[in-house]
Amino acid sequence: MAPEASAASIRLDSLEAAPTPEAAVRETAMESVLVAAGEIGYREVSVKSILERSGGHRVQFYEQFASKEDCFARAYATWIDRLCVSLLEAAATAPGWEGGIRAAIVRLFEFATERPAMTRALLVEGQIAGEPMTARYEATLERLAAAVDSVRADIDPAAAPPEATGSFVIGGIASCAAEALTAGEPSRLWDSLPELMHFAVGAYLDSEDAEGAFERAHVLLERRRARLAEETQR
Amino acid sequence: MTELRLISGAALAEPEPAAAAPPRLLPGRHGMPADLVRAHQRQRLLAAAAAALAEQGYGRLTAARVTELAHVSSRTFYQHFEDLWACVLAAYEEQAARLCDAIERAGAAGAGIAAAIEFLAAEPDVARLLSAEPPPQIAALAAARRELVERLGAMLRAALAERDGATPLPGLERRLVGAALALVASRAAGGDPQRLRDLEPELTELLLASL
Repeated sequence: MAPEASAASIRLDSLEAAPTPEAAVRETAMESVLVAAGEIGYREVSVKSILERSGGHRVQFYEQFASKEDCFARAYATWIDRLCVSLLEAAATAPGWEGGIRAAIVRLFEFATERPAMTRALLVEGQIAGEPMTARYEATLERLAAAVDSVRADIDPAAAPPEATGSFVIGGIASCAAEALTAGEPSRLWDSLPELMHFAVGAYLDSEDAEGAFERAHVLLERRRARLAEETQR
Repeated sequence: MTELRLISGAALAEPEPAAAAPPRLLPGRHGMPADLVRAHQRQRLLAAAAAALAEQGYGRLTAARVTELAHVSSRTFYQHFEDLWACVLAAYEEQAARLCDAIERAGAAGAGIAAAIEFLAAEPDVARLLSAEPPPQIAALAAARRELVERLGAMLRAALAERDGATPLPGLERRLVGAALALVASRAAGGDPQRLRDLEPELTELLLASL
């Protein structure tokens, strides 16, 4: 079974930098352990289930990793970081704070749509697996929360929201994505875009700003639906 | 876990649901009615499931550790539950109901949030049980989690409507509950109840202002 289709938005740094046979085996095994965890659950993953997806041999696997747990921990660290960097890049290249949040959520949804099993592994199975994945997940959320919180500089200190607002917003977005992926309905994610924008903007700004963010996300969603319908007709 | 030597069955009332496991009964003759012994074992198993989950996480959780913490045999465990997940589900449902009761008893929205935080801070194992994302493959557990989010969301919506007639965007309350549970999970992970208590004023502001 081949790993999920590669997401164009996420660069495979290690493959690009060092395409040695060992690096290729390592990269494929790391993708496969995450896909396996997303498909069958972390508790059910075995070296056999990884090899069924990666196509490698047990000896090659143990040349690279001490165990299934080692493989998962390294894969998790690598891919949660790639996803985080990709979301931050999307936010940084979009105009304005609201546009940055929307672009990052859209990037997350694109990744989840293209690679549902891997996204499920990163957002849900990592926490089930325990440490060190839990700490890595928390650190990632904090990094994203700090980026969301950058708008605080533009808010009157007297009207500033609580310190935990960034974590609250990122936790809400992550739990929404986890919910849709857990239910096995990644396509449902897109429907939640306007609601999530209302939630994120409303946590920092006033209700008028939140409603504006909802409307703009709704327009974007409608355009996306029209584009997909057009592509399907062709 | 403290052991308690019982002189007679009258010394022990019907066990109340609680996270901290009731003390084990000493083996042998103690004159207690069989159904009371059984209820007591069940409470110990439910508390042990929460404790084992806090200790091992879903990834490493085993029925063996639950029975060990509950001081019952494997045979007793399977007399009560079909498997590990049936035990965890029973613990989850019981504690979810207790959390909702605590919020309902508190009444108003702000008081309800404070009651929820105090409930979770007082029982860190329960805080982890209720806030951690369960394995999606355990469908009944995932459904119980969804049900809790729905119920907490409905309570939040009702409390807000009662307070100032606010009608939040449909579905927004579920996002807020999801965000609140994520914050609780993060604060509960270290096992320090004060970190959870410190969250109360901020969480109250975030939940009420966002709606």
